[in-house]
Amino acid sequence: MNYLHVSPAPHIHSGLTTQKVMLDVIIALAPSAIVSVVLFKLKALWLILACVAAAVLCEFVFNLIVKKKQTVSDLSAVVTGLILALNLSANVKIWQAVCGSVFAIIIVKSLFGGLGKNIVNPAIGARVFMLLTFASVAGGANPDLSTGATPLAVLKEGLDGAPSILNLFLGNVGGTIGETCAIAILLGYAYLVIRKQIKWYVPCAFIGTVFVCYLVYSQSIVMAVSQVLAGGLLFGAVFMATDYVTTPISNLGKVVFCVGCGLITFAIRAFGAFPEGVSISILCMNLLTPLIEKVTKPRTLGGIK
Amino acid sequence: MARKNISSLHLPHNKHTDNVEPVRIETPEEVVLPMDMHSGDHAIPVVNVGDRVLVGQLIAKEGDRFSSPVHATVSGTVTEISEMVDQPYRLHLHGLAYDKSGELTNKPRRSKPTLAIHIKSDGKMEKDPGLKPPVFETADEFLQAIRESGCVGLGGAAFPTWAKLNEMKNPEYKVKHVLINAAECEPYITSDQWMMIKHPDLIDKGIAYMRKYLAEYLHDADFIICIEENKPRAIEAMKETFKDQKDVKIQVLKAIYPQGAKQVMLYNATGKVSIAGKRFPYFGAVIINVSSLAKTAEYLSTGMPLVERIVTVDGSAVKTPMVLEAPIGTRISTLLSYTGLKSDPGKIIIGGPMNGTATAGIDDPIVKVSNCILAFDEKEAVLPAPTACIHCGRCVNICPVGINVASVEPALAIEDENLRAKKLIDTGIRQCVDCASCAYVCPANRKLLQANGQAKRFLKNWEKTQSNGGKR
Repeated sequence: MNYLHVSPAPHIHSGLTTQKVMLDVIIALAPSAIVSVVLFKLKALWLILACVAAAVLCEFVFNLIVKKKQTVSDLSAVVTGLILALNLSANVKIWQAVCGSVFAIIIVKSLFGGLGKNIVNPAIGARVFMLLTFASVAGGANPDLSTGATPLAVLKEGLDGAPSILNLFLGNVGGTIGETCAIAILLGYAYLVIRKQIKWYVPCAFIGTVFVCYLVYSQSIVMAVSQVLAGGLLFGAVFMATDYVTTPISNLGKVVFCVGCGLITFAIRAFGAFPEGVSISILCMNLLTPLIEKVTKPRTLGGIK
Repeated sequence: MARKNISSLHLPHNKHTDNVEPVRIETPEEVVLPMDMHSGDHAIPVVNVGDRVLVGQLIAKEGDRFSSPVHATVSGTVTEISEMVDQPYRLHLHGLAYDKSGELTNKPRRSKPTLAIHIKSDGKMEKDPGLKPPVFETADEFLQAIRESGCVGLGGAAFPTWAKLNEMKNPEYKVKHVLINAAECEPYITSDQWMMIKHPDLIDKGIAYMRKYLAEYLHDADFIICIEENKPRAIEAMKETFKDQKDVKIQVLKAIYPQGAKQVMLYNATGKVSIAGKRFPYFGAVIINVSSLAKTAEYLSTGMPLVERIVTVDGSAVKTPMVLEAPIGTRISTLLSYTGLKSDPGKIIIGGPMNGTATAGIDDPIVKVSNCILAFDEKEAVLPAPTACIHCGRCVNICPVGINVASVEPALAIEDENLRAKKLIDTGIRQCVDCASCAYVCPANRKLLQANGQAKRFLKNWEKTQSNGGKR
């Protein structure tokens, strides 16, 4: 007899898969990746290829060694490699970038149980690891520009000599290869929102917090806008503070998470020794995620508290 | 009271049969009537092999408690009283699971086998001459009559109708609303819609009976017929029927899933919030499926018990989607011979695609609650295998009652039972309405509905154990 499939309800599905979610993130990252190659030439391309290839290979080999079902096809390793690469300065050597990718996939992700189990965003973990190991990660001169200082380093001393807001928008400034062009990041943001992969207000909570803090602190709109556009804030808020795995599950929790990120970023930028604080702020809030989830659990209709 | 919007899904409606007039099928050669077509205790056969039975004749009496009688649905001879193999449509009643080839993956925990009465039809559909409208004066006599009609909740729960109405007698409850559930929010299904279009008189009668004989328990209650907006013909028919009755309100609801879940309907129609563990009249409302009401009215006015129903036959493997009026107990294969098949079915579902149950046998009978038969082709039959949860929060955002669905599976894995129970209660899982929206949207294809069911069963047992002072 021809057997029928028997499975529990529901028998239909939206068709959304993890792979499709990750593919959308990759598409959203594409403008930034393309612009990075335009601004930083072939070096950016090599960085991206090295990071992505290393990340995917690592996950493949790790799964092979621990005899886990192969998970490379969910594309999450590609996303991790891509985000990491776009977070590196053009001064980073290829072997250093590969080290970062290996660290992200093996130490931060796979050893904790793979996708969905990691506590810290792999790309962030690797970037902070590289910041501490190889000092050249964060800065990075644009080959077309004479000045080597990043806009944040200049802004730290005040508005004198800081790049114009237009240049910050276009990306004609120094910085890591993916963070300089605001327009490309905003394109990615729009795509993610339209595809309903992220809620529009989540990155806004992060960016808004930094903006308001600087507005109050420096009493200057130009300074506040420059702080939003310079450095890794936009990139971090759109692509890293919205990572599903390492942020709280409820929308309220995600907003709390982002406000916390914004406050820490402001504190580091304004009072800390580093000019940049986005990665460290997200890393800190990643660790606080379980606590935030505890206080922001969704309210069940009719649930007895 | 301020009401927030309940999260809900927009499913493809796929109501291919909403303009296809129902067709009565020819008398099937044989019907199979299982004794557990209702929730509660099995019915007990009162006929023997070889007996001649007539349409509407009692063939099985009520079991011990919360049960419902079964009547012959064709005239003919009882050929067999068999022990049924475990039918997947009972999955939700027994918590059984099947793997792909139809093998049981966990053993049934039933104390006694389910019997099924097979009747070979003589093709005459001869009615039992003893059938006449029941006589009743008081509310108790009225409820007793409903009890004998064999009517159960035809929306899916199969809770005996008399038992549901009987709950209103509790003096603690003050029923102010009678909700007639005609939402039919699941894709494909059109049987309630056709009941409203074809038999508005029965619904009218049903409401009149309830208004008259249950008056002492209805505290000037209004009757709210809740219909989704995608059934204009049914809405039209109901508006026409009840245009002169002030206490009957036609509430047109948005066509969203799970509008027909009783907790969601209560909230959307009256603003009241249901709480798990309380019987429904506690919230001042009784909710009854529109087809159940019509079938009850049919018995009360003609004496013909529940022997026939409207069933939608649809799905990607079906050639011509149809709405069929068929005797209960007709085999699915018989129904499919009317609609024809485009391809070999890969999966047969009794009920809707979100909450129905897949059956292993194409010769299984339709039962009292089978409002729909879906035959899916091989491609649609298999859903992708689950992958790791990526914590995206879609399940939490889509849940109509705001359960922290993503935390249920991790909580279930906790060894310590008391901690597990505490964590599960924390997720709000007891409020789950079983709508399966979470599983529908999950990009990792987690079997969330099963996890939720498991969690609720565990909590029920755990609470029982707690109230027994820790003893099992």
